[in-house]
Amino acid sequence: MTEAYVFDTVRTPRGRGKEIGSLHTVRPVDLLATTLAALRDRNALPTEHVDDVIIGCVTQTGDQGGCIARFAALEAGYDLDAPGQTVNRFCGSGLSAVNDAAAMVASGYCDLVVAGGVESMSRVTMGSDGGAIWDPRTQWNVGSVPQGISADLLATLNGITRDDADAFAVRSQQRAAAAIESRKFDKSIIPVKDDNGLVILDKDENPRPGTTAEKLAGLRPSFEMMGRQFGMDALTKDRYPQVERIDHVHHAGNSSAIVDGATAVLLASKDKGAALGLTPRAKIRSVALCGTDPVLMLAGPMPATRRALRKAKMSIGDIDLFEVNEAFAAVPLAFMAELEVDPDKVNVHGGAIALGHPLGATGAMLLGTLIDTLEERDLSTGLVTLCIGGGMGIATIIERV
Amino acid sequence: MTDSTKTTNGQANVSFDAQTGIATVALAMEGRANKLGLAFGETLHQGLTWAWACEGLKGIILTSAHKDFCVGGDLDALYKERDQAAMMERLRDLHKLFRAMETSKVPVVAAINGSALGGGYELAMACHHRIVLAEDRVRVGLPECLLGLFPGGGGTQRLPRLIGIQGALDIILQGKTLHPTKAKALGLVHDTAATPEALLAAAAEWIAANPKAKQPWDTDKFRFPGPRPGTMPARQILMGACGMMFSKSAGAYPGLQAAISAIAEGTVLSIDNGLEVEARYFTNIACSDQAKDMIRTVWYHRRAAEKHEGQPEAKDGHGLTKVGIIGAGMMGAGLANVCAAAGLNVVLKDVAQPSLDKARAHIEGLAKKNRRLTPEAREALTAAVSYTLADDDLDGCDLIIEAVFENIELKHQITQQLEPKLAKGGIWATNTSAIPITDLAKVSVDPTKFIGLHYFSPVEKMQLVEIITSKDTSPDTLARSLAFSKAIKKLPIVVGDGFGFYTTRVFSAYIMQGAQLVAEGHDPATIEWAARKAGMVVSPLQVFDEVTLSLIVKGSKQSRMYGKNVDFPGMALVRSLVEQGREGKASGGGFYDYGDDGRTLWPGLAALVNKPAPAVTGLDFLGRVLLSAQAREAVCAIEEGVIKNPRDAEVGAVFGIGFAPNTGGPLSWIDRRGAATFVAELRALAESHGDAWTPPDLLVSMADKGERFFDAV
Repeated sequence: MTEAYVFDTVRTPRGRGKEIGSLHTVRPVDLLATTLAALRDRNALPTEHVDDVIIGCVTQTGDQGGCIARFAALEAGYDLDAPGQTVNRFCGSGLSAVNDAAAMVASGYCDLVVAGGVESMSRVTMGSDGGAIWDPRTQWNVGSVPQGISADLLATLNGITRDDADAFAVRSQQRAAAAIESRKFDKSIIPVKDDNGLVILDKDENPRPGTTAEKLAGLRPSFEMMGRQFGMDALTKDRYPQVERIDHVHHAGNSSAIVDGATAVLLASKDKGAALGLTPRAKIRSVALCGTDPVLMLAGPMPATRRALRKAKMSIGDIDLFEVNEAFAAVPLAFMAELEVDPDKVNVHGGAIALGHPLGATGAMLLGTLIDTLEERDLSTGLVTLCIGGGMGIATIIERV
Repeated sequence: MTDSTKTTNGQANVSFDAQTGIATVALAMEGRANKLGLAFGETLHQGLTWAWACEGLKGIILTSAHKDFCVGGDLDALYKERDQAAMMERLRDLHKLFRAMETSKVPVVAAINGSALGGGYELAMACHHRIVLAEDRVRVGLPECLLGLFPGGGGTQRLPRLIGIQGALDIILQGKTLHPTKAKALGLVHDTAATPEALLAAAAEWIAANPKAKQPWDTDKFRFPGPRPGTMPARQILMGACGMMFSKSAGAYPGLQAAISAIAEGTVLSIDNGLEVEARYFTNIACSDQAKDMIRTVWYHRRAAEKHEGQPEAKDGHGLTKVGIIGAGMMGAGLANVCAAAGLNVVLKDVAQPSLDKARAHIEGLAKKNRRLTPEAREALTAAVSYTLADDDLDGCDLIIEAVFENIELKHQITQQLEPKLAKGGIWATNTSAIPITDLAKVSVDPTKFIGLHYFSPVEKMQLVEIITSKDTSPDTLARSLAFSKAIKKLPIVVGDGFGFYTTRVFSAYIMQGAQLVAEGHDPATIEWAARKAGMVVSPLQVFDEVTLSLIVKGSKQSRMYGKNVDFPGMALVRSLVEQGREGKASGGGFYDYGDDGRTLWPGLAALVNKPAPAVTGLDFLGRVLLSAQAREAVCAIEEGVIKNPRDAEVGAVFGIGFAPNTGGPLSWIDRRGAATFVAELRALAESHGDAWTPPDLLVSMADKGERFFDAV
């Protein structure tokens, strides 16, 4: 057994996940290839040393079908001997890919693995890959409601009000705007260019810096009609009968935005990195997974975090910075309340509400952001965690080296 | 030249017209209606085979020799079937037969000359063309879900392929049966015909114009109507159906879930594979306890009650020409309305003109909105009701129904004052919900003509009438009251006398148990959902607010007089809510607050109760306790001679007070648990919660002897 180190991370900017988005005309395999190529070039990485390319991608159909990891590696000009694997653990895919890569390295089965993620939500619609979760039979055997309903249920159970959620969203926007303004993401962002070398997109285009609480207050709750008129709220009653009525607090302005993006992370053993002349930036202290009630769906980060801390023999107070995916405002708010975490340690440069959540990539992107920010502030340990469809949770603890 | 004969088994008439090349198969099964029973497959097969052998055959008209086309499955066979392999085989045989008919290349037209319901409509869907006789008596549709089943003769596969997933869900999940015009509008049939002759002519015409008929799903270019199954829009429709179904049924009806699953899973497959998937789900549901229990009550018990089985019959019908109703409140107005609708002359009497005006507005308003009424019928209905403050206008009534406040002194006074207005031999009926008839009849000049007719609000919608006889009420009075019930289309149960009769005592047990659970510290929202999950149509605290808390508090004085215990924490809680002005929905708040956004539980309940949640709680426990309280009461009612026929306990509970229809009724519920188990549970509750739970002797005896209320299936 050895340890897995992170040597570098890169990401594309996140384009708006619509037809008008800047990355809509870019094939997902090219988005990913851009990051793989940049990772190689920045580190002068001889790709015959890449033991595997493990990529998170959720909606693996259409442009994202086949095994996008392998073909992106080949498109990026990686050595033929660099295989690829595409993994789907819903919103946690990117971090799951990182964790799997870390495990292959730490176990000694591999020496160097590129992890990452990609999702072009503008080209491959979320949910278009179908699945058992859409079957009525699975819904009543297992329990499932649309994620917005779960988010509103999470808010209701935790006493998170519309005002709380909107205030958090404003904060995410302000922090993201400030970070972009002071170029905090420059270290990792790789511009997406066309064959002519012309820039298609070189900065995150989703944030709305002028967002205020007043503007958000005017938005209608997105899930109220489906919840109350179409009976989705009723589907939560068997598990949460004490909730008489779900308070519908979420809307597009305080939920993660739909975007396009890709990311790549270079992991290797210390020795392998040294042999290739690379300088490690962080090491993986622990990883953790968990499963919770699929109806509530979004409460996974808390048990996953506790498990990761236990495995790392750390306490919550030992963590300097957190990245808790802003799938919906209620998620980080519930997380901070339950684990008693200082909000100033969480998503310090904004999160998915402002920047967007490219499903399969986010987990790995958050890891990259976390490392950049620890370096920027000269802090030591960080934790990334995401809530995941089906009630799962995932967490990774890293330590700067 | 027409060749005509019968099929070998004699259950269908077959004929062939050599000139047109059209064979006609008219189902003429034993009995008065065609049903999909054991003989059906053989009959249809013989009919088709005979037709297919006709030289020069161009097409087949499938019709009925009975007044209805085909009215569904043979429930007798299905009710008893528990062998799942056997049921699968029968379903596969049926699917094979229908598929043979629709793929034989010979066009088959369903000439629907009467109602086509359930399997009867599924038969029609397996024909290439459907024309229905547009008479008002005819209905087309799929009511199986109302019995706890769902369409298992191909309905979940053919209907979506005809009208799309959304349309099919609407009709199947709600058990809709449609008037011919509506059936055509929604695409269940292709066309309507004004007369039986026009029907057959149109069928023949269609055959001549369509010599090579194929079902849409058997053509190469078949396009699924509406969103294609397996695509996102289709998935969203199904999700919406799941949500809406669940919010209405709280998951108490697996038949509904199976219907949705059969549609979702079968429509992405070929029709033959889809039919196999449907068969698996149908077998699972039809062989289940719940289906048996629901069929027993909703089909057998209900029909027996409708037919007045075991009750005296009035040889000359109800013999009523003039009906008087005293009290123009909601109940009186509703009663006047249904009487007028049945063609009876009604005098509605009150002491306050505003009440009469309100009643008139109600009756005439509903008549105006009722589009089924012709202008003449509307005129006749409104003219049939007269409104009066004058006692004398009741002179000569053959029946007077007293529907004034629940107060024995007032009812005595009204009886003494107005009973003399009855025509000779006239009947005096009281609509009391709880006061013993014997006691009310004390001031009557003729207790043999005194009877209780307890209706339920709103009278236009609620089918049940609880008929209460005292030991003096004559069989003739009962018989004529039953005939009157039939005339106004009510479903009667006949019970013996006793405070609260049957329905009120069971209903009171339900709502008081709800209040009691709140008083014990259980979470109110959980109590409400537990009731729905157990199958109760309305949650206890919600319905408590609707009947008003003050009514119960006022009634408790009377209850105490009749020996009922009214000193328990639940009642104390209700009293303190009333003391605070929280009297129920009409007064703006009770257990619930009522606002623009609907109702929400009053946040002050917890402080008022001031108790921690008990250790043993949760959906299963609370649901069981709520049903147990009612079931126990039902057994007491039998013991005390109030319920004389067990079927009345089921019919009264399910159709009068919304007792979990999914269970079949309180007695079915006990049978399912087993009397011994129920006795043990009651004893445990008595230990922890007091003597009120002690199992009645009748139940203990049944447990000892291993007896049941109804035969096991």
